[in-house]
Amino acid sequence: MKVSLKWLKDFVDIDVDLQTLADKMVSVGLEIEEIIDASQNMKNVVLGRIDKLEKHPDSDHLQICQINVGKPELIQIVTGAQNVHEGDLVPVALHNSLLPTGQEIKKGKLRGVDSFGMLCSGEELKLTEQDYEGASVYGIMIMNKETAPLGTDLNEILGNTDVVLDVGVTANRPDCNSILGIAREVATVLNKPLKMPDISFTPTKGVKVEDIVKVNVHDKELCPRYMAGAVTNIKIAPSPEFIQERLKSVGLRPINNIVDITNFVLIEIGQPMHAFDQDFLAKHEINVRRAENGEKIVTLDEKENILNDTMLVIADGEKPACMAGIMGGMNSGIKDTTKTVVFESAKFARDNIRRTARALNLHSDSSFRFERGIDFDSQRLGLYRALHLIQELKCGDIAEGIIDELAKELKPQVIETTLDAINSILGIEVPADVVSKILNGLQIETKIEGNKVTCVAPLFRDDIENANDIAEEVIRYYGYDKVENGTLAGCSHTQGGLNIEQKLQKMVKEICVSNGYSETLTYSFISPKAYDQLRLEEGNELRNYITLLNPLGEDMSVMRTTLAYSMLNSLASNYLKNIKQAKLFEIANVYLPKALPLTELPFERQNLVIGSYGANESFYTIKAVVMAILEKYQINGVTIKRAEIPYLHLGKSACIYKGNMLLGYVGEVHPEVARSFDVKDRMYIAELNLELVNKVASYKYKFEEIGKFPPIERDIAVVVKEELPVGDLLGSIKKSSGSVLKEAKVFDIYRNPVTVGLNKKSVAINMVFRLPDKTLTDEEIAQKMDKIISNLKSEFDATLRQ
Amino acid sequence: MKEKINQLIEQATQRIKESQDVNSINDLKVQYLGKAGEITALLKGMKDVPNEQKPEIGKYVNKARDTITDLIQAKMNELQQKAMNAKMMKEQIDITYDEKDATRGSLHPCTLVIDEVLDIFTGMGFTVANGPEIEMDKFNFQLLNIPKDHPSRDMQDTFYAGEDLLLRTQTSAVQARTMINTKPPIKLVCPGKVYRPDYDATHSPMFQQIEGLVVDKHVTLCDLKGLLELFAQKLFNEKTKVRFRPSYFPFTEPSVEVDVTCSVCHGVGCRICKGTGWIEILGAGVVNPKVLDSCGIDSTKYSGLAFGLGVERIAMIKYGIPDIRILFENDSRFLKSFK
Repeated sequence: MKVSLKWLKDFVDIDVDLQTLADKMVSVGLEIEEIIDASQNMKNVVLGRIDKLEKHPDSDHLQICQINVGKPELIQIVTGAQNVHEGDLVPVALHNSLLPTGQEIKKGKLRGVDSFGMLCSGEELKLTEQDYEGASVYGIMIMNKETAPLGTDLNEILGNTDVVLDVGVTANRPDCNSILGIAREVATVLNKPLKMPDISFTPTKGVKVEDIVKVNVHDKELCPRYMAGAVTNIKIAPSPEFIQERLKSVGLRPINNIVDITNFVLIEIGQPMHAFDQDFLAKHEINVRRAENGEKIVTLDEKENILNDTMLVIADGEKPACMAGIMGGMNSGIKDTTKTVVFESAKFARDNIRRTARALNLHSDSSFRFERGIDFDSQRLGLYRALHLIQELKCGDIAEGIIDELAKELKPQVIETTLDAINSILGIEVPADVVSKILNGLQIETKIEGNKVTCVAPLFRDDIENANDIAEEVIRYYGYDKVENGTLAGCSHTQGGLNIEQKLQKMVKEICVSNGYSETLTYSFISPKAYDQLRLEEGNELRNYITLLNPLGEDMSVMRTTLAYSMLNSLASNYLKNIKQAKLFEIANVYLPKALPLTELPFERQNLVIGSYGANESFYTIKAVVMAILEKYQINGVTIKRAEIPYLHLGKSACIYKGNMLLGYVGEVHPEVARSFDVKDRMYIAELNLELVNKVASYKYKFEEIGKFPPIERDIAVVVKEELPVGDLLGSIKKSSGSVLKEAKVFDIYRNPVTVGLNKKSVAINMVFRLPDKTLTDEEIAQKMDKIISNLKSEFDATLRQ
Repeated sequence: MKEKINQLIEQATQRIKESQDVNSINDLKVQYLGKAGEITALLKGMKDVPNEQKPEIGKYVNKARDTITDLIQAKMNELQQKAMNAKMMKEQIDITYDEKDATRGSLHPCTLVIDEVLDIFTGMGFTVANGPEIEMDKFNFQLLNIPKDHPSRDMQDTFYAGEDLLLRTQTSAVQARTMINTKPPIKLVCPGKVYRPDYDATHSPMFQQIEGLVVDKHVTLCDLKGLLELFAQKLFNEKTKVRFRPSYFPFTEPSVEVDVTCSVCHGVGCRICKGTGWIEILGAGVVNPKVLDSCGIDSTKYSGLAFGLGVERIAMIKYGIPDIRILFENDSRFLKSFK
C-alpha cells in the first residue's frame, strides 16, 4: 500500500521526523518496505531563463547562454542543444546538482569556455510527455508556459514534494489498505487524535435517486450491502490539482473529475466504487445477480469473458454491465457527454470475488481490495465522501436520497474476556488502565470491571474475534520489548530425542561421508524426459509419476520416483566442470502414487542414492559402501543377483535382496545413459530403499561367546570356470561347514591360460574355524575340509590347485 | 692401591667414551670385567692386602667394578640405539607424499544447520517429527486457520498435484497432523522440504524449514521469547539477543517476526545485517486457539507456541552464501568446503 505522507497528514498531525514515523509504524506491525522521496533523486535543478545566447568562438554547434535563475548575477552555461532561444524558460542543473539519472553535474570548461552547469532535456530529467508537456521534445525541455518565479526548484514545479511510504499490509488487516486505515494506526502510535474525512454534502432538491436508478439485489449472500447515490447535471472536467497530485503520488493516472473521485475514495477510504452513466443503464436498472451460464461480457480491458452462475454481475435491465467488484464493462464508463451518474458503493463476498477474479484472470485495484475484505462501514463512508467531493468540486447536483440494500442488521463483534486471560497469553502483567487506553485508542470500545474485560470491535476490525486477538492488539502497542524471557516453567518434562530411524539415518550419512562421499541437495521434481534418458520403457512402474498441475516449467514438473536421474545429473554437472572425480550421495523421498490421476496421498518413502566417477572408482568401491551400510543396519545374509535395470551396465550391475525383498541396486551406469549426459568416464550408482532397509534391520547388537580356544585357519585355491560367481563358492562352503565356520572370504583371484587354463580362474579362499568350548582337532578340520572340497567339486566342477 | 684403582677407573672411562661400536665395547668388557680382566685381577689381589685395610679397599674395588659396569652398559645402550636409528633411517620414506586418499566427504551445509538445530531442541526435550511432502489441503491450510479462498493464501503460492492435494508450503502441516494424533504435552521440531513457486537469488521452489511446536498448560509469549533466545545463543553465540516484531500468520496470534542481533557485528551494523544490527531469522507466535480447537485440543485448557525457520536462510547467514541457488548446484568443490 503506497501512502502519501501529505495525504496521511490530512487525518493525523505528524510531528516526528520521517525515520521516527517509519520506526514507530514498524513497531506496531506496519512494515515499511520502501520510503520513496522523489525529491532526493533530483537536487539543485531550477527554473531558469535564457537572457542572452551567443555562438561559441571555437565551435560550430556549441552556444554560450547567460541564464537568469532569479539572482542578480547571470550564470554562464555552454550547451550543445539547438532548440533554445533567448527568452526561453528551461530546466537548469546548477553546479553540484544531481539528476534523476544519477548523473552529477559540476562546473567545467567546454572548448575553453567556462560552463557552470547544464541545461536539461526531458529525458535527462526522466520525464515523459505525460509528466510534463514538452518533455519528449528532442533537445532541451522548454517550459515557457511556467509561471513559477525564476530559480524555483524543479521538484516543486513537478510536484515532487511528497514522500511516499510503501507499507506492507498483512492479510489480516484489510482496513489498512487505505490512507484512513493507516492514519488510524499512526494516530494511536503517535498518541494523536484521528481527524475523520469530511463526508458532509447537501443534495439539490427536486430529483430523487429512485427516479434515476432502480436497484435490485437478487443475491444478498454474494452482495450483503449495495449502496447507491446519484448526481445530475454532471460537468466532466479535469480534477483540481490536489486530487491529481495525490492520485499521481500513489501511481494512479488522473482521468477526469468523476473517475478521479472514485479512485480518490478507493485509496483514501479503501472502498472500491463504480460510476455508471445513467444513459448506459438499460431501463435505468441495476440488477445485482449471478451470471447465467455462458453469459458474456466484454470488460474494460477489451477482453471477452464467458461467465457462469457462480459469478456475480451488475446488470442493467438487459445485459451485464460490470463484473461485480472486479471490472466495469466496455462502454459502461464515464464519457465526456455523461450527464447523470450513479455511484455504486457495495460490499461483495470476499471469497466469491477471489474465485471469480482468478477464474477470469481479471485483476484490478478494486478486486485486490474486495479479495482481502472490505468492512461494512466503508460503503457509507465511501459514498458520502464521494458526494462530498462532487459538491466541493462543483461538478454536479446531488440527487436526494441514498439507496442502501443491506442484507442484515449490522452487529459489531463483542469479545468477553479477562485481564488474566490476556496476561496469561502474554506472560506479563499489563496494567488495566494501559489495556483500556490501547484498545479504546484503536476504537475497540473496551470496558474493564475488575478482572472482566468487554470489548466491542468496530466494524472495520472484523479480524478481532477472540482473547488472543485482543492480547495481540495490547502487546503491539504496549511494546514487544516488554516481553520477558520465560523458561517454559509451567510445562511438563518430556523425553525428546531422535528415534531409531532418525539415528540410523544420521549413521548412514556418516558412513557415506567417512568413505569420501559428499551430500547433495536436488529438487524433488524433475523433467518427464528424465525417464526417457534412463531408458525406462513404457509401462515401467517408475514411470507412474505424479505430474504437478502448475509446475514452474517442464524441467520441474514431475515428482521423482527414483533418485537415479538427480544423482546422474549432479555427477554430470561436476564432470562437465572438468572436476576429475566426484563422490556424492543423497537421502530424499520418492513419490509413488497409488493411482493416477492423484486422488489420495501417494506413498512417500526415503531412498539413499550414492554415485561416483573418477580414476579410483569401480563397481566394487561403491558396493563396499552399500554393504557397510547394510552391516550398520545389522542386515545379514543378503543375496546379490545380476540386475536388469535399463540404465545400468548389464554385466556390471547387481540387485540386493533380503529374502525376496529388493533392497536396492548397485552398478555401473549404462554407457548410452552416460553418453546422454555427455559423460565419457564410467559412472557408478547405487540406490537403496531405506524404508525397506529399516524394516528388515534387526537393530540389535547381540553378544556372542568368543571363547578362549584358538581359531584354526585354512586356505585353499580352487580352479573354476571364469563365469562362476565367487559368491556361489562361498555359499557352498558355508553350507558344507555349518556354525563351526566363522568366516570365509576370497583373498585372491588368479588367471593364467597356461597354468590355470583357458576361461578359468583360480580362487583363493581363506576360512576361519572356531568352537567356543574346545580346540578343534586336526582330524575334525580335515573332515570339514574334505566335505567342503568334495562339495565344491560336485557342485562346480572345481579342482583343487596345489 | 687406591691410586692404582683410580687410575684404572680413569683409563676405563676414557676408553669407553672413545669406543665407537659394539665390538670394541665388548672387548673392553672382557678387558676389565672378564675372568682375566683387570678388575677381576684386583679382586684376586685382595688376599695380599693387609687385614685392617681389607674392608675399605674391598669397598673401593667393588665400587670401581660397579662404575665400570654401569659405564659399559650405558655406552652399550647408546650404541645399540644408534644402530637401530641408523637402520630405520635406511628405511626412510618421503613423508610429504600422500599415497592413500582417506579424505572424508561432507554433509550438505543445510544438513549441518538442521543437525545443529535438532541437537539444540532434542537436548531440551523435543522430539523430531516428520510428515508427507505431498500433503492434503486440510493439513497444510484449513486446520491452520487458512480456509479456502482466504486472502492469507496469497502469502504462499502453492504447487498442486491433484484435487486438494498439494506440495506442502510449510512444515506447519506437521503441526496439525501431530496435534490431531497426539495429546499434550507436545514438544516437537519438524525439519523438512517445502515448496513454493518462487525462483530467484533468495527464493528456491524447493527449500527446507524447521517447525517447532510446544503445546501444554500455561505456555506464554514470554516462554516463546526465552526459548528462542536460548536457541539463538546456541546457534550463533552466547551474546545473541532476540527481538520480536509484530507480524501476521493465520495459525498464531499474536504473531511475530523474530530478529537476532547480527552474529558478525553484534548489533553495531554491518554489511551482513544491512546496517541494522539485526537479522530476521524466523516467524513465530502463540498458537491461535482456533487452530488448537480444530485439531481437537481444548484451547481453554492448553496453549501453545510455534515457530518456523528457513534452513537455507540460516545456512546463508551462517556461512556467508550470497545466492540460494548455490546450495542446489551440487558442485563437489563447494560441498567439500563443509568437510
